[in-house]
Amino acid sequence: MEGDERGFRVALVTAEFLNPPPDGLDALAVLEEEDWGVIQLPASDYPEDVAGQLLDQVAEQAEEFARHGYRLAIVGRHDGLADILVRHGVKTPPQLDPETAAELRAFLSTGNG
Amino acid sequence: MAGVAFVAHCLLNQNARVDGGARTAGIYSPLVEELRAHGWRIEQMPCPELAFTGLQRFWAVKEQLDTTAFRRHCRRIAQAVASAIEAHVEREDDVVLIGLEGSPSMGVCVTSSDEQLGGRPTWPEGSSELAPGRGIYIEELAAELAERGLPMPRAIGVSHQLPDHDPAAERAALAEFLEA
Repeated sequence: MEGDERGFRVALVTAEFLNPPPDGLDALAVLEEEDWGVIQLPASDYPEDVAGQLLDQVAEQAEEFARHGYRLAIVGRHDGLADILVRHGVKTPPQLDPETAAELRAFLSTGNG
Repeated sequence: MAGVAFVAHCLLNQNARVDGGARTAGIYSPLVEELRAHGWRIEQMPCPELAFTGLQRFWAVKEQLDTTAFRRHCRRIAQAVASAIEAHVEREDDVVLIGLEGSPSMGVCVTSSDEQLGGRPTWPEGSSELAPGRGIYIEELAAELAERGLPMPRAIGVSHQLPDHDPAAERAALAEFLEA
């Protein structure tokens, strides 16, 4: 992969951590600092059928990364995620519902993530 | 928030790029910085190529991917994304698309094209596959939205994989687009 800068680390991140309220934790900034890529989980304000279609796509993409040995982690909580990952043969990655940037940084950098 | 920006998957996850194409470890920060500076909500679209041809895919031009099966795959993704766009349109949110110029799938104004390329993968020195036009996924998304009677959102493509990429010009173009 000459000239390729990928980090081989992919976090499945709840939409609320990607689009935080003004005083919320900006997970995207931490993930960038720690050289992680992101697969966004469906936002909680979508209708159930919309979220379900998007979650299928998340699982298909996570499966491809898992199959190639990329590190996966889950940031935040999303109902149904663990089940659909299992259905796609993906072992549930380490998960954290972080309250601070430091907590997330430690999770991502210490191998727990 | 100003609105909702549906962005190409790889702009938040360069790990999805074809081998040799990742420009950063993960997140393409110039786009995120512009979106945040202008108050846009981020919605990441799935990568059409990742789940279809996988991480070990070769670089490809549009003609190589333009099969019924790939278009069906793109349409399935587009149906999910169009449903999300529809939810925002119903809330009267401003919606934009941000694709990837030069991509056979995600190009907005520039895709890649070569009617001869095929067989053993080689890229003759100096050849350029870039061509005006949309990528296949963007075409399928536009078709899906049209069938639902929804307008195609304003769209722009990030240009970081084009040979004449100018980071400052790209930032200025993104800022102007997001302010419009």
